[in-house]
Amino acid sequence: MDERFNKEFEQLALPLLDPLYNFACWLSGNPDEARDLVQETFVKALKAFASFQAGTNFRAWMFRILRNTFLTSRTGLERRNTSQQDEDGYDEAVVSYDTPELAIMRQADTELVQASIARLSPVFQEVLLLADIEEMKYQEVAETLAIPIGTVMSRLARARKQVREHIVDALGKKS
Amino acid sequence: MNCEYRQKIALYADGELGPPEQQEVSRHLATCPECSAALLELLEMKKSVRLAGSRFSAPPELRRAVQEKLRVRETSAVFWKWGFAAACCLLVAMLGVMIYSRQQRQDWVIASLVDQHVTNLASNLDHRVDVLSTDRHTVKPWFQGKLPFTFNLPEITADSPFKLIGGKVAYQGQEPGAELLYEIRKHEISVFIFRGQEGSSKLVHDRGSSFTVEHWTEGGLRFYVVTDANSEEVDQLASMLQQANR
Repeated sequence: MDERFNKEFEQLALPLLDPLYNFACWLSGNPDEARDLVQETFVKALKAFASFQAGTNFRAWMFRILRNTFLTSRTGLERRNTSQQDEDGYDEAVVSYDTPELAIMRQADTELVQASIARLSPVFQEVLLLADIEEMKYQEVAETLAIPIGTVMSRLARARKQVREHIVDALGKKS
Repeated sequence: MNCEYRQKIALYADGELGPPEQQEVSRHLATCPECSAALLELLEMKKSVRLAGSRFSAPPELRRAVQEKLRVRETSAVFWKWGFAAACCLLVAMLGVMIYSRQQRQDWVIASLVDQHVTNLASNLDHRVDVLSTDRHTVKPWFQGKLPFTFNLPEITADSPFKLIGGKVAYQGQEPGAELLYEIRKHEISVFIFRGQEGSSKLVHDRGSSFTVEHWTEGGLRFYVVTDANSEEVDQLASMLQQANR
């Protein structure tokens, strides 16, 4: 492994530090664990960088390493075991489109949106984070999570619906 | 209520439509308040989620730790790279020194044996050998109890150009060994036998001092043949000695 190889990795990977840490915090719900996850991700990625094929999506590759590292951690295993809920068989075609609540959405403060995201089950949460925070294309999300694009679309629709319902519900109760 | 374009609103908001579809939906949005409202709400939600979700940024100590880890690997890679190169150089140098010193030692041994051979030639026959006999069955047993090893002598037939004259104990590096004297057409040949390393080594010719010296290792013994006879004759005697000691 030469110096140029390390420099190349550093240039590609360091700009992803904040997004990876943010994703790790959401996944684990614990800053200390997120720190460890990110460090482990960088070490693993550098080790495996030789096998990374130029031209493929580096960002998706890094997020995939982080997510896989999380899934094999104790917290990851616990979350995986408790989150296999009513996801299978979901089809975007049957999503019911409620009346838009633009005014309510505008009232939602950051804290409420954060609480809504936090309530999502991991499979919906990670799709929403990658698509709306990291602004990944569906294809990139599919690569990161190793799932079909159709599943990305249906999970994303469902995640947004749940966030919206929670916000509407919370603000409705308040008023 | 459920406009046929509603399903495309999310794809439109996420920039997942191709240019023709994008334009088509844009045109539709201009005429459909329901879809426009849905799009606005979705964009609003995307913005809210982006702002609320970008909640954590890496603390400075994490950035330092990651950079440190990358640097450590880099430094260790550089260390190993240069360390390996340095170790290779050192190994080559050590091997060179070993080969050189071994060669020096070998040169010194040969020089001292040539000296002994020349000294012997200058002596009276009485002093050249301590056991004077052409019979190998007399010469070999004479060394019993005088040397910490044993060896075989080749049979010299009546028609052989070689003649065994006798032998005596010689020393080299404070180690006792056998010095045997042969003759071929008035040329005397000294054969020195000392203890050596196990294994065998090939015959080496050395004509550095105008004498022909051949040496080899066989069965844990070092053999040196020193003479001013020609090298073909030395080869012949060396071959007989090798066969006798296999």
